[in-house]
Amino acid sequence: MPEQNDIKTWFTQQIEANIHSLYAVARRLTRNNADAEDLVADSVTKAWAAIGTLDDQQRFRPWIFRILHNRFISDYRKKAVRPVEISFDEASNPSEGDDVTSVLIQQPDEFLNWWANPEQEFVNSLLGEDIMAAIERLPEAFRITVVLINIEGLSYDEAAEALNVSPGTIRSRMNRGRTLLQTALWHHAQDAGLLTEQHVRECRS
Amino acid sequence: MSNDADKPDIADSDCLEAFDHLYAYLNGELNDQHKLAKIEHHLAHCRSCFSRAQMERELNQRIKQSGKAETPASLQHRLRKLLDDI
Repeated sequence: MPEQNDIKTWFTQQIEANIHSLYAVARRLTRNNADAEDLVADSVTKAWAAIGTLDDQQRFRPWIFRILHNRFISDYRKKAVRPVEISFDEASNPSEGDDVTSVLIQQPDEFLNWWANPEQEFVNSLLGEDIMAAIERLPEAFRITVVLINIEGLSYDEAAEALNVSPGTIRSRMNRGRTLLQTALWHHAQDAGLLTEQHVRECRS
Repeated sequence: MSNDADKPDIADSDCLEAFDHLYAYLNGELNDQHKLAKIEHHLAHCRSCFSRAQMERELNQRIKQSGKAETPASLQHRLRKLLDDI
């Protein structure tokens, strides 16, 4: 059994190594700098108090993200800034088999035309802030999944552990979340005139 | 969708299956060797899905680059004090 001082030293090292990730995830959840700071500090306090529940030190990241996510749900979600979120009928929760079809048929025809053969310059034409604004408008379940996997680099198993859902749910949320993100970015590109004339013509034809 | 001159047909089962596994594939989470071989074969033969996969790869990179939030100094000081006190 390691000494308490050894555990404290190890815990401090882990927090210091993950401080940017914890803040980044908290910021995307609360959409507010002050609340994100409070959420991280509360989560670190809670994590230290619960250090005995960490069975495998290799699973520190999913463990502390789970604590942070639970703290957000219990104490911060109600007052979180809520911009207009991308509408999505969460009640339609299809089985794995018709997952993709159900997501796609909800998208506009013009988007599907573009999506069938997207222009490669499209992504480069977007500002980082365009991409993050679109992510912040994703419904929470999809937003946190995209953030944990695509920004923080968690595996599907780790994200499932952090969010207390199955890996299959993570996979489904990733498919849906990224499709919603793609649609939002396409709408933004249309509004900002970023699509090339050729693609606009093809979409209208 | 296999013929990129066509209008999109989301009923194209090969393309739908590829899309269903695309994010798992790009995120290194597609461990089923049969599905892995199937999507790689499809991407090698379907220009439409290949284009989408390329776009999603680039978007993955941009999301990763853009998503890092700079931790405020105030939080760093707060955590240092918190860790000193525990």
